[in-house]
Amino acid sequence: MLMNAEPIIRVDNLHKWFGLLHVLRGISLTVAPREVVVMIGRSGTGKSTLLRCLNFLEQPSSGSIALDELTVTVGPHLRPEPQQIFAIRLRTGMVFQEFNLFPHMTAMQNVIEGLVTVKKMPREQAIPIGEKFLDKVGLLEKRDVHPIRLSGGQKQRVAIARALAMEPKVMLFDEPTSALDPELIGEVLDVMKDLAREGTTMVVVSHEMGFASEVADRVIFMDAGEFVEQGPPHQIFSNPSDPRTKQFLERVL
Amino acid sequence: MAEVDPDLNTGLQLLADQRRARLIRTTKIGTVWIILIVLLIMVLLLTNVEPAYMADHYGIVLQGLMTTIEISLISIVIASFLALFGALGRLSQNSIAQGISGFYVSILRGTPLLIQIYIIYLGLPQIGVAIIKLGYPTIGNLFILDAVPSGILALSLNYGAYMTEIFRAGLQAVGHGQREAAEALGMTRWQTLRRIILPQAIRIIIPDIGNQFIAMQKDSALVSIMGVWEITYLANRFARHDIKFMEMFLVAAAMYWFLTIVSSWLQNWLERRMAHAYER
Repeated sequence: MLMNAEPIIRVDNLHKWFGLLHVLRGISLTVAPREVVVMIGRSGTGKSTLLRCLNFLEQPSSGSIALDELTVTVGPHLRPEPQQIFAIRLRTGMVFQEFNLFPHMTAMQNVIEGLVTVKKMPREQAIPIGEKFLDKVGLLEKRDVHPIRLSGGQKQRVAIARALAMEPKVMLFDEPTSALDPELIGEVLDVMKDLAREGTTMVVVSHEMGFASEVADRVIFMDAGEFVEQGPPHQIFSNPSDPRTKQFLERVL
Repeated sequence: MAEVDPDLNTGLQLLADQRRARLIRTTKIGTVWIILIVLLIMVLLLTNVEPAYMADHYGIVLQGLMTTIEISLISIVIASFLALFGALGRLSQNSIAQGISGFYVSILRGTPLLIQIYIIYLGLPQIGVAIIKLGYPTIGNLFILDAVPSGILALSLNYGAYMTEIFRAGLQAVGHGQREAAEALGMTRWQTLRRIILPQAIRIIIPDIGNQFIAMQKDSALVSIMGVWEITYLANRFARHDIKFMEMFLVAAAMYWFLTIVSSWLQNWLERRMAHAYER
């Protein structure tokens, strides 16, 4: 059902070089609306770089990225226009491993910052939206608290609310639970599971295999800057075809 | 009362001991200061310094205190803006901005403040006169500055150059993730700077601005060479007139010292406030 829909993300032949390091080697990827894609693999194989290229936090070296009706093509003599990058970023929400909440703002201010500063929404109009999303991640009572007073899990939930408040078409998660103490991982994964159930389009880089097998529509195993294997979680986890996937899964499961 | 931890008394005892030890040390340090001041006064009295003259004339020097504070305050504010733009220039991708700010910092850190004051006060009018002769009196007159504006300009430019490095370090100290989070929300560079980076950088920079302000209060003594009626000029004038050098310069020194102590208190208070920011 998912595969028949018009894709919301279409990445074509994406390359990324860091100096002489060829980090992404011609990645092509399509994501359907409402699809949850989880990318797994050893660290340093380009998963996060790919995710960060999707909203141009990292400048791809060449290739094209299409999001919705927008297409941005990048090449040696082809830099994207700032307006193109802006348009892409408005359509994507990003959640970071290190949360990156703004420490000088309360939870509420963090959540409405994008609405007020980027979308120029009057504060009175933004606050009900902030309340809605803080409530969604179960932290409405922390609205006037600064991040320093929040646990890691709470910080990440506020960060998710901050991204959601911009009502992006796609949510990008860059190892959202890797910086958390084990007992705090569950609360963040629960929020993400709710989002997936509601039909949020999500691209997730994660080491949480339990989450991937429960929530993902598709799991992609990445190695050395390439997609090695992809498919529904049960297929990847119980019946991987590539020896590299097998080897990786034996080590993490 | 039944639930009291029997070890609590030990803890309280240790805490009280620590507090007493700290009090004793503070008292000892204070005593040393008092002894040193008394010794200093004794030496001065032996060398026939006249306290009576000092008492009679300190009021005159005090009139210069306000001028010193005024010049320093205005200059530190202007210097902070210059430093902000200097730092943005140094961190910019733009070669012109980088070149200009690098040039500015290099020249003003590479020459003595005294020479800068001479150039601005005595040198610039030469350019001004030349421009007036060319037939542009309004522009020419801009180069002919009174003593106080000259002093403020020199101090601002000079300190702005030193503080550029402080601001650069402060801006860089804000984590890279902050910029990325802002950009991911769709903020422009300018919005990111104004809403996210600067508010955090200021809290890092404030203690250093305090140090620069304290240093500047004393460097402002150099503007006395232009005849500005601040602390040093007034002290010098009466010292020469009455041949009471030790007396008048001691008065001036005491005033700068007092100013510095008050400024340090203010700085400590500000720093403590900054340290406890966002703890709600």
